[in-house]
Amino acid sequence: MQGKAVVPATRRRRPSSPDGLVLLLLAVPGIAWFSVFAYGPMAGLVVAFKDFNVRDGIFGSPWNGFANFRYFLTSGDAVTIIVNTLFLNALFLSASLLAGLILALMLNEIRGSLYRRFMQSTIFFPYFVSPIVISIMLQVILSGVGGSGGALNNLLSVIDLPQLSWYTEPGAWPWILTIVKVWQLGGYTSVIFLAAITAISEEVYEAAAIDGASRARMALSITTPLLLPTLGVLLVLGVGRIFFGDFATIYAIVQDNGILFPTTDVIDTYVFRSLRTIGDFGTTAAIGLFQSVVGFFFVTAAVLVQRRFHKESSIL
Amino acid sequence: MSTTGYNESLLDHEAREADKPAARRRARRRPEPFTVASHIVVTLFGLFCLIPLWMIIAGSFTDETVLARQGYSLFPNPFSLAAYELLFSGQSLLNGYVASLFITLVGTILSVSSTASLAWVIARRLPWISRPLTVFAYVPMLFHGGLVPLYLLVTQVLSLSNSWFAVILPILLAPFLVFITVSFFRQLPEEILDAARIDGAGELRIFFQIVLPLSKPILAVLGLFYAVTYWNEWFMALLFVSDPDKYPLQLILQNLIANVTNATSLPGATAAQAAAPVYQLRFAMTVLTVGPILLAYPFAQRFFVKGITLGATKG
Repeated sequence: MQGKAVVPATRRRRPSSPDGLVLLLLAVPGIAWFSVFAYGPMAGLVVAFKDFNVRDGIFGSPWNGFANFRYFLTSGDAVTIIVNTLFLNALFLSASLLAGLILALMLNEIRGSLYRRFMQSTIFFPYFVSPIVISIMLQVILSGVGGSGGALNNLLSVIDLPQLSWYTEPGAWPWILTIVKVWQLGGYTSVIFLAAITAISEEVYEAAAIDGASRARMALSITTPLLLPTLGVLLVLGVGRIFFGDFATIYAIVQDNGILFPTTDVIDTYVFRSLRTIGDFGTTAAIGLFQSVVGFFFVTAAVLVQRRFHKESSIL
Repeated sequence: MSTTGYNESLLDHEAREADKPAARRRARRRPEPFTVASHIVVTLFGLFCLIPLWMIIAGSFTDETVLARQGYSLFPNPFSLAAYELLFSGQSLLNGYVASLFITLVGTILSVSSTASLAWVIARRLPWISRPLTVFAYVPMLFHGGLVPLYLLVTQVLSLSNSWFAVILPILLAPFLVFITVSFFRQLPEEILDAARIDGAGELRIFFQIVLPLSKPILAVLGLFYAVTYWNEWFMALLFVSDPDKYPLQLILQNLIANVTNATSLPGATAAQAAAPVYQLRFAMTVLTVGPILLAYPFAQRFFVKGITLGATKG
């Protein structure tokens, strides 16, 4: 390797085969991981078509055709969790994108560079808070010590509004979870938008200022339209993931509180619960496969749309 | 060979960001309503982000009986260290830290090294290798096997139950980060690599002695993203770790929520201390779990911003 002859520059992208093989060595850990942990489970999806039992194992268990799918789709839960997954994700996506966009426009107005950087760091921080910790914060706000009171109820009592026992009110939870997602992702999304704002030419604003445009006018008529491509990409990516619930946050918050399931149970939490409590591997795998297949169409459609409109930001 | 020129170009957009307000300041004389409103809204949102965290911190220093009687307050009065004393006197906090540190350190090292080396092979555009590898790493972003096959794989096939590697391995590689790294590698100045090749450096030598040192910014981004993911990971632990002595911090916390009345999982909460301060302990535990992130955040924050920016514009 070391004493090799000079390689002409034109061949730099095409090294001789021994070099290629050496390079392939570097890829071995990655290839091994993808084979076992990404493609292995795909092979394991045969469980969805089996009457699985641990004794016979994944490949030894008897086949049962589409029985697992029929069982899931005819149970009353299927519609609820599919609707919840789509509805909650749509809420989360639109709310966090909107919050991120507004925050970015407003952060952009803050000139004091130290204050701006401090605020940016502050609103970005919730992104790094783990779901479990979020869940504990939410309990402080909504239920308080011993399940009574809570910061929000204390606030409500001050302004003479009725207090609620939040953890037994399923109707409120789509909105509570949306607020949590805005808290968690608003700052993160605004960082992405701010990066796009930096790329906007200064001259546009100077021209607008000469024409007497106010700052609000500039934000609305210059910055926002120029951010639409970024918004589009984020929207498309989000829609691509719309069939996959945000398992970690929802499960950490709702746990096994059955009262809240009608409005908060999504496919992922349902799968996890069936696996843990019922241990029905066949049906659970069938739901997972169903989710993966439908999700695949969403993601693929999203990727195609993104490539169509925003070629430079696509991966393949 | 100097690397400063390259690193400067990475900081370019930060520099531009700093220039821009100055230019705009000239264009404006007195604060406009929108600017004033912006300051107010952003500040309020900042408070909205911080207050829940502050309530937890304040709660962890407030005596349980006061918490129960007066509810939460923003300032602990009277100040109480009881929960921390209890936590530090027991074994499970230490066990939790050992588990979380092991998972985070070992996991981050494995993740960053395998991500960077795989990304380099893809970035080299080798005939017959790079393109198939791209597809190989991309397909799992579109389709995955789901929870049940993964569960069976880890517990039945690999027999990793109760091992910290059961937490690390399933989330070892993030395809998205692999592709961000690929696009970073492809921007490395080709001339430096050519010069090394002319001097007779082999592929491995080029990767380890030239590419990696030039790629410190992206390695920092990778390391921080993976480290936060591992530190915050609780779902894999919930699935695969059932031995309480091996619980990482997040799982200890998860257990504290799941069993509100079950104080037995807390250190020092023996039968003699039936009235263990459950809530105060929970808050203290939360503070100790978020603590490392909170301490590292001011220094690490700009790398995260850079990582997202890379992902948003190039990913």
